[in-house]
Amino acid sequence: MKVPVSIWSGKRLVVVILLGVLVTCGWILGPRVIHLSEGANPFAEIERFFGGALAPSLEDENPSLPAGAKPFLLRTGESLMRTCRYALVAMSLALPAGLVLGFLASSAWWPGAMMYGAASLKRRLLRGSLRLLRWMCRLLITLGRSIHELVWALLFLSALGDAPIAACVALALPFAGTLGKVFSELIDEQTQAPRAALMATGASPLQAFCGALLPAAFPEMLTYTVYRFECALRSSAVLGFIGVETIGLGIRQSYENLYYGEVWTQLYALVVLVVLVDILGARLRERLNRGVARKALPEPTAGEERYPEDLLRRTAPRDWVVRGGVLATVLLTLLCWNVGKELGADLTTDQRSERMSRFLTKLTPAPVRPENRLATGSERVEAFRGKTGEVADWAGDLWTRNGAEALLNTVAIASAAIVLAGVGAALLLPLGSRALARGDPFGVLGAASRGVRFLWAAVGFFTRSLFVLGRAVPEYVYAFLLVGLLGPSAWPLVLALALHNLGILGRLWGEVMENQRPEGPRHWIQCGAGRFQAYLGSLAPLSFNRFLLFFFYRWETCIREATILGMLGISSLGYYVSIAHNWLRYDEMLFYVLLGAAAVFAGDLLSDWMRRRLRGSAGCS
Amino acid sequence: MEKILELADIHRSFGAVKALSEINLQIHKGERVALIGASGSGKTTLLRLLGAQLAPDRGEIRVLGRDPLALGESGLRELRSRLGYMPQDLGLVPNLRVLQNVVAGRCGRRSILGTLRDLILPALGVRRRIHALLERVGIEEKMYDRVDTLSGGQQQRVAVARALFQEPVALLADEPVSAVDPARARDVLDLLVRLCEEEGLTLLVSMHQLELAQDYFPRVVGLKAGRIVFDGEGSSLREEEMADLFQLRERAAGV
Repeated sequence: MKVPVSIWSGKRLVVVILLGVLVTCGWILGPRVIHLSEGANPFAEIERFFGGALAPSLEDENPSLPAGAKPFLLRTGESLMRTCRYALVAMSLALPAGLVLGFLASSAWWPGAMMYGAASLKRRLLRGSLRLLRWMCRLLITLGRSIHELVWALLFLSALGDAPIAACVALALPFAGTLGKVFSELIDEQTQAPRAALMATGASPLQAFCGALLPAAFPEMLTYTVYRFECALRSSAVLGFIGVETIGLGIRQSYENLYYGEVWTQLYALVVLVVLVDILGARLRERLNRGVARKALPEPTAGEERYPEDLLRRTAPRDWVVRGGVLATVLLTLLCWNVGKELGADLTTDQRSERMSRFLTKLTPAPVRPENRLATGSERVEAFRGKTGEVADWAGDLWTRNGAEALLNTVAIASAAIVLAGVGAALLLPLGSRALARGDPFGVLGAASRGVRFLWAAVGFFTRSLFVLGRAVPEYVYAFLLVGLLGPSAWPLVLALALHNLGILGRLWGEVMENQRPEGPRHWIQCGAGRFQAYLGSLAPLSFNRFLLFFFYRWETCIREATILGMLGISSLGYYVSIAHNWLRYDEMLFYVLLGAAAVFAGDLLSDWMRRRLRGSAGCS
Repeated sequence: MEKILELADIHRSFGAVKALSEINLQIHKGERVALIGASGSGKTTLLRLLGAQLAPDRGEIRVLGRDPLALGESGLRELRSRLGYMPQDLGLVPNLRVLQNVVAGRCGRRSILGTLRDLILPALGVRRRIHALLERVGIEEKMYDRVDTLSGGQQQRVAVARALFQEPVALLADEPVSAVDPARARDVLDLLVRLCEEEGLTLLVSMHQLELAQDYFPRVVGLKAGRIVFDGEGSSLREEEMADLFQLRERAAGV
């Protein structure tokens, strides 16, 4: 077979370009990784911090706590439960919204498919309005997703007061968008054969959608929802860093007091929770794919009917574990809404509307801000009249002062991080892949000794554990810890993002490799190649396009995260958002938030475009 | 006898590819017809035209005495609901039960709410009817099993049951024996022929095994490059006509 040389040079070119991106971003962000004051010994603190990893605290490290204060473990348990509670409440808001958005963002159910001749005016009008509706839904999805949940939380907490429900709604908005987007993609990616078969029996497109596409996509939708819940747990923990009472708050307080043992205890608690949900999701997927075995049918009775219908129905295979799990989750969610601390703020309607009014006034750009803080809507609109030039000047000033540089830094942080994560994952994959990290890769060298087998199994296990740890802790928590240890520069943010995404890419890329047919690499190994040669020569090129697919998907989420990591005090968009928030300059905050949203929106479009191109060619690679 | 499917001077292209040209075909009620030809000779396109799923570029078409091109949405749906169609890939939903896949056959006569209800659990009477139907195709003990746990042959029977549950006038099956071994192929054709005789259905099956077609079908229609080259009793197929079809098969296989 002729090997097209150009494809190989294409792959090499991509790698060179990505490394070039890394160097450029490094140049933008400056070379100094450690930024500590003169005389400080960073390594002593780092040593003390990692010492805490081996000796997590089970009791308060603070010696001067008042008597009768809740013990540390109890507090940690409570904050962990609150983390879960807010995540569940947020998901219960995001899931119905995501279902509706996903349905409306898909065109698979539109009437008029498989019809003849010119469409009637009525149907054309209907399809036109559905197209408009779909367009609006996609806009809503993108808007919700392009602002980070932490920023939504800042906005809502400012507008509605310190109520947990504000945090939950903030979580729910981007999550509803993501769920909607993924649901519509899952539905559109289903094979069309069952839909076509139902339409051939005279079913309407909506019936074919409900009868064929939706049931086929359901298992993937359910497991994706569980994955989103895992993400919600992480995000809920991160909300602690802006004061919501989740485990993030405890981590922050313990760290700021240098109680490193406490920090590690809480980190471990969070990791265990997230990993449990991760395992749950994997089990659920396995069960849904496999289905449950039917109980053996009794010998047929001698009657006319061999197996009567009601007997078959009674003994039908039903997965009680999954059904029970779904029911338990619903009950737990109801409990989360109704039991425990009130979710809403303790405010009267008047107080609430006054708060909202003041918030809106501060949110209005300074040049057009009404004198009256409690101005009505029409007064606010009136103030804008004829002053668009001034608003543009105001925005231009913010842009030249900090905006442009912050935007550049944000994109550079995200890009450097994802390339680093990609390089790390590519290097670690042969050690972590279930296919390669074993005594006899691809079953060729059946004679590997016991010691060799054990060694490779251990290497594989530890590498995969590193991936799990990487993705279980939110990037914001990593960034917070690293900024504390390495001092304020962009690099701790880059490293934090890279570490988290290394875990995710390691898993996604590993799955891609495991799904490849083994013949290619096996052939290499049979020809005498080692596992690394088989990886470089066969598995990696075979999986390259799929790797890039996930790479761009993660790059998009990195930009999203990078817009907020600056809140830790490093010059990027998040920094100016938090500064403006602290100074109650909500108008400037809104400017930077929208700038970040624009960056995410652009990244979203670019990544979608790349992925669509790659998906076209991924099948044949 | 009543003509239920009629095509007159039908042409159909997909882009630059001419799938069918100058097709003239009449099929009467109760007839059993095999449609034979190589891959790409236009069999699927012809079946989909007859199933009122595809419009011709040119020509006259009558399905159950009506012109599908003149029908609106409800008329078309009603027409399709009276034609059982078995696609080559069967078009079953793998993670649904046999029951739900079969009951989907009556979508054309149901409202959307009825379809949703059927998806959860159809009424007792409907379940009994499906049970009886599955008994006739020989897989009634699989009624509540997921389709993806069934063997290929069993899945084919599910598709047959779904088409029969439509209570159709005619059954159009696209390559039902292309993916099964010779013994299984005879089982499938035995089943189709027996069911259609019992119900008095018109049966139209596309395939590429000439021998099987001659054994099971009184009438054989040969397609070559989108044109009908033979239409008559299978046993009257002359040597050179047969050679022509076979030659075409070899050429198609060599591509």
